[in-house]
Amino acid sequence: MLKNYLRTFWKVARQNKLFTFLSLFGISMTIMFVMIFSMTVTKVVKGSGPEKHLGNILVAENMKVRTQKRGGNEVFTELGRTECEEYYKKIKSADKISMFFGYDWEFRQNGRQYTKGYMVTDAEFWEVFDFDFILGRPYTKEEVTNGANLAVITESLRELLFGNENNVLGKIVQYRDFSLTVIGVVEDIPPTSQNLRSGVFFPYTLFPAEKPDTRSFSPYSGAFSLAFKAKNRNQFPEIRRDFQATLQRIDAADPNLALFVAGPNTQWQRLFATFDPEDDFGPWALLRKYLLWGFGFIFLPAVNLMALNFARIRERGEEIAVRKSFGASSAVLKGQFIFENLVLTVTGGVIGIVLSFVVVALLGNTLNIPVKAGTTVPMSFSFDFLVFGITLGVCLLFGMLSGVLPAIRMSRMKPVKYLKGGEI
Amino acid sequence: MIKLSNISKTYRTQSIETLALDNINLEVKPGEFVSVMGPSGCGKSTLLNIIGLLDEPDKGILHLEGNLISGYADKKTAGLRNRMVGFIFQSFHLIKELNVFDNVELPLIYRKMPSGERKKRVYEALEQVSLTNRMHHYPSQLSGGQCQRTAIARALAGNPGIILADEPTGNLDSTVGKEVMNILTDLNKAGTTIMMVTHDELLAKTTHRIIRLFDGRLVG
Repeated sequence: MLKNYLRTFWKVARQNKLFTFLSLFGISMTIMFVMIFSMTVTKVVKGSGPEKHLGNILVAENMKVRTQKRGGNEVFTELGRTECEEYYKKIKSADKISMFFGYDWEFRQNGRQYTKGYMVTDAEFWEVFDFDFILGRPYTKEEVTNGANLAVITESLRELLFGNENNVLGKIVQYRDFSLTVIGVVEDIPPTSQNLRSGVFFPYTLFPAEKPDTRSFSPYSGAFSLAFKAKNRNQFPEIRRDFQATLQRIDAADPNLALFVAGPNTQWQRLFATFDPEDDFGPWALLRKYLLWGFGFIFLPAVNLMALNFARIRERGEEIAVRKSFGASSAVLKGQFIFENLVLTVTGGVIGIVLSFVVVALLGNTLNIPVKAGTTVPMSFSFDFLVFGITLGVCLLFGMLSGVLPAIRMSRMKPVKYLKGGEI
Repeated sequence: MIKLSNISKTYRTQSIETLALDNINLEVKPGEFVSVMGPSGCGKSTLLNIIGLLDEPDKGILHLEGNLISGYADKKTAGLRNRMVGFIFQSFHLIKELNVFDNVELPLIYRKMPSGERKKRVYEALEQVSLTNRMHHYPSQLSGGQCQRTAIARALAGNPGIILADEPTGNLDSTVGKEVMNILTDLNKAGTTIMMVTHDELLAKTTHRIIRLFDGRLVG
C-alpha cells in the first residue's frame, strides 16, 4: 500500500511542479531557520572550548532587592562581592565555586578603536572553566588575595597588542589605570559563550571593595556572577538548596530588605530566564511566551501549505472518488493524504537541513542570530540528537498541521460528485 | 442477488429539490445481466450508485448478495463495496498517476491481500481482458478501448459477485464497444451478475433483461 501511495505522491509531485516547489520551498526554509536556531542554541548551551564541561556548571547571576519585606520598590542588580566571598563561596555541596564578572573594554591601539571583553575573576575561575594555556599560567589564590597586577590574555588580544611577538609573558597590558603584567595566554573564547568574554582576565581584588551603605540596597548589590561546578548533575538539587538556604540567611539577617536570586540555573534555564528572579520560566511559561514565536515560524508556513493542500483536493477529486469506489474507507484516505504530506515535509526537511549546513558554513562568522533577549551570537554548527529530534519534531508537526485538515475534508468527499460529473 | 424495496432518493440544493428515485422495487437474480435504460437525468446512475453503496437512499431497504444493508457507516460500506461490487465507468476513471498494473491492483490493496497473491490476481484479470502486454503503461499511453479493458480488469480483479457498469461503451467507437460488450458477456457467462446503464438499445437487447426508468420511477 505504501508503495502505491509513494508512487502516487511522486507522480502528483512531478505533475504539479509549481505546487511541489512552493511546498518544498516553504518547508525547507522553515526547517533551515529552525535548524540554524536550534544548532546555535545547542552550541550555546552545550558549550565548547573552555566551557567544555558546561553541562556540570550552574550559574547564579541576577538579584532582585525589594526595599521592604512586603511591597516596596524593586531594584534589579547582580550579586555583591561581600556576599559572594563571605557566604556563597563557602557552600560545600559544589565541587568548585567561582565569582567573576565581565564587561566590554574599549581601547585604542595604533590609532584605531577596538572593543574587547575584560573579565575580573577569582583564582577558582581557572578551575571551573577549562582553559588551554598556550603560554604561561593562571593567577593563584594568593595572588588574588594580594590584589596582584597580573593578567591572562586571549590569543586574539595577544595578536592585536603584540603582533607577531610570541613570548609576551612579562609584557604590560594597560587596562584603564592598571598596568597589568601578562602571565598567561589562553585560547580564544567561542563567541557563543554565555559566560566568558574574549580579551583580558585579571584578579577582582584589583578593584576596591564596595563600601557598605546601610541606607539603601547597596550592601547586597554588585556586579558578580557565581559559577558552581558539580561533579555531575545529580549534585544540582543540593547546590540549589544550599544556595537558597544561604540567601535566606542573608535575607533574614536584614530587617528591611527582601532578596531574590533564581537558581542557580543550568545553561538552558539561563537562556530562558529573565532579569527578574521571581519570574516563572517553567515549561508552561515558556510555551506561553514562545507561542507567538512558534506560531510565526511553524504555524504560518504550515497554514500556507494547508491552503495549497485544500486547493489540491479538487484536482484530486476523481482519484479520491475512484479509491472510495474500490473500497478505500475515509480513514484509509486520511492516512494516505497525511502520509503523502509527511513524505513532502520530510523531503523539505532534508533539503532544509542541507541548506542550514551550507548557510552556516558560508555565513556562520558574519551573521548573528538572537538566542535570548539582548544576546545575539554567530550562527553555529552543532548537530546532535537534540537538534535532530527538534528538527524531526518540527517536520512531523508541520506535516500533521498542514495535512490533517485537508485530509479530513478530502476523506469526507462524496465520490458520486466526481464519478459522473454530478449527473443524477 | 440484488433486492431493492421501496427505495427513494431526493437530492436537495438550496433552491431545488430533485426526486432522483421514487419508490423503486427491483430484484436482480444472481448471474443475471440487466440493462438499465432511460433518458438523461431519470435516475439510472443514482440507482447504480445506491446499489454500489456509493450513495445512501433516503428511504427503503437494500439487500446485496443476501445481506441487508442497514446503516451506512463509512468503514462498513467501504468493506462491502470492496468485496461485493466492481465498478466500470463511462469515462474509465483510471488513476492517471498509476500504471495499468497498479490501477488493477487497487481493490486488492484495500483488501490487505499479500503481495504475491495480489500480483497473481492482477495478472489473471489482465489476461482476461488481453492486456498483459500493457501492464506497465500509464493511462495516457492507452487507447480508449484499452483504458476500458483496464477498468474492466480492475472491476473483476477482486472477484466481486456484482459488476455495475455505467455506460461502459459510451465513450468508445462501435467496434471497440462490441469488444467490451463481449468481455462483459463472457464475465456474465462465468457467473457474475451485471447491471449496465446504457443508451444503446441494440446493446441492451443482448442482455437478459431491460429495466426502464423515467423521472425516477420504474416504467418497465
